[in-house]
Amino acid sequence: MDLKALKKQEHQKRVKYGYMWAFFCAVLWGMWYIPGTTVWVLNPFDEMYGEIAAGSGDGMALVIVAVLITAFNALTVILALTVWNGVLGKFGEMKRTVKEFHPCSKWFFLASIFGGPMAILGSFIAMGFVGGAFAAVAALMYPVIGSILAQKWYGEKISKRAYLGIAFIIAGGITIFGGGLLTELGSGNVAWIGYLGGLMAAAGWGIEGAIAGKGLDIAEPDVGLTLRFLGENIIWWIIIVPILAIIGFPMFKYAFMAFEPLTLLVLVFAGITFGFCYVTWYKSFPLIGVGRGQGIGNLYGLFAVIFIFLFFGDVPSWTILLGGALCLGGSSIMFSEDTGEMESLRGD
Amino acid sequence: MVQTQAAMEAYNAYWVNSPLPAADVLWMVAILIVALVALWQARTFVSQF
Repeated sequence: MDLKALKKQEHQKRVKYGYMWAFFCAVLWGMWYIPGTTVWVLNPFDEMYGEIAAGSGDGMALVIVAVLITAFNALTVILALTVWNGVLGKFGEMKRTVKEFHPCSKWFFLASIFGGPMAILGSFIAMGFVGGAFAAVAALMYPVIGSILAQKWYGEKISKRAYLGIAFIIAGGITIFGGGLLTELGSGNVAWIGYLGGLMAAAGWGIEGAIAGKGLDIAEPDVGLTLRFLGENIIWWIIIVPILAIIGFPMFKYAFMAFEPLTLLVLVFAGITFGFCYVTWYKSFPLIGVGRGQGIGNLYGLFAVIFIFLFFGDVPSWTILLGGALCLGGSSIMFSEDTGEMESLRGD
Repeated sequence: MVQTQAAMEAYNAYWVNSPLPAADVLWMVAILIVALVALWQARTFVSQF
């Protein structure tokens, strides 16, 4: 076999792995909705919601409880990523990356600001002030922002075929959540802050992906993502949770009550799914590019519906089946793209 | 904080309509299987590149 054929084979293998990581991301993200939904009814979050809702209203209670759940989620994600990096033997690399703040780890701390407080909090604000379907649809738009930003910032190439695939997956996602979206928007009294939350979610995750793509030029994805969550933990536990406690919300009172076996078990599973989904998302970026990685990752909407049906027994309606078909069509368009198109992900 | 009866009822109600047996445990098993496969693939990836 000549050098050119070997290079081509190596490239095809990298693209195959890239799509596989993005697909793992979608499956695990879909699975996250099981612990991510059930944890809300468990104490201390259930009682915390009741106490805050009595004084400040349901919308505010949802956002404040979401902050505490997200902070715990970030904590259990770090535990899951410690296991991941331990198994892969990446602790030495982590030490090296942390030390190289200026060229390297600054990108991941910056990514944590956009992915954490901006995207996740924005998503919860959209959920609290408009509804869950609107929040899901808004979040599905993030590959549009991510791929445009990656193209303008560092010239990431994205083919027309990949754009078509992303468009199909987004249309599929909108169809999946469309029925709920129309009901929510039709209710008439939607607060503007809910739409701002939706914009924060789409922009936050899109910008995070583009920033991560830049940082991953010189860092390992497994290590880079762990630093990104280290940054997110600092933001929640050192900045936002104490500020909310100073304002008067019972943050620490309920945070200490969360150390209950069932609550911790559900949070640990949320950490495994979220941590592993995020690390596979980051791993896909250097292999297939930010746009394709985010596009395939968007299949999470379809997987969430499948897992919710399997474990909660919520039967999907025809719109969900139609949306699922569009998602599958979009991913087929992307999977079947000639890998030669992706020989170089940047410039010409 | 111990779970209240209302919290446990709400939690258990999630699994009642599942088409799968023992869904309250099976979701954790499913997550562990997918997570372990991902970790195994990551090990393979490290050894190949």
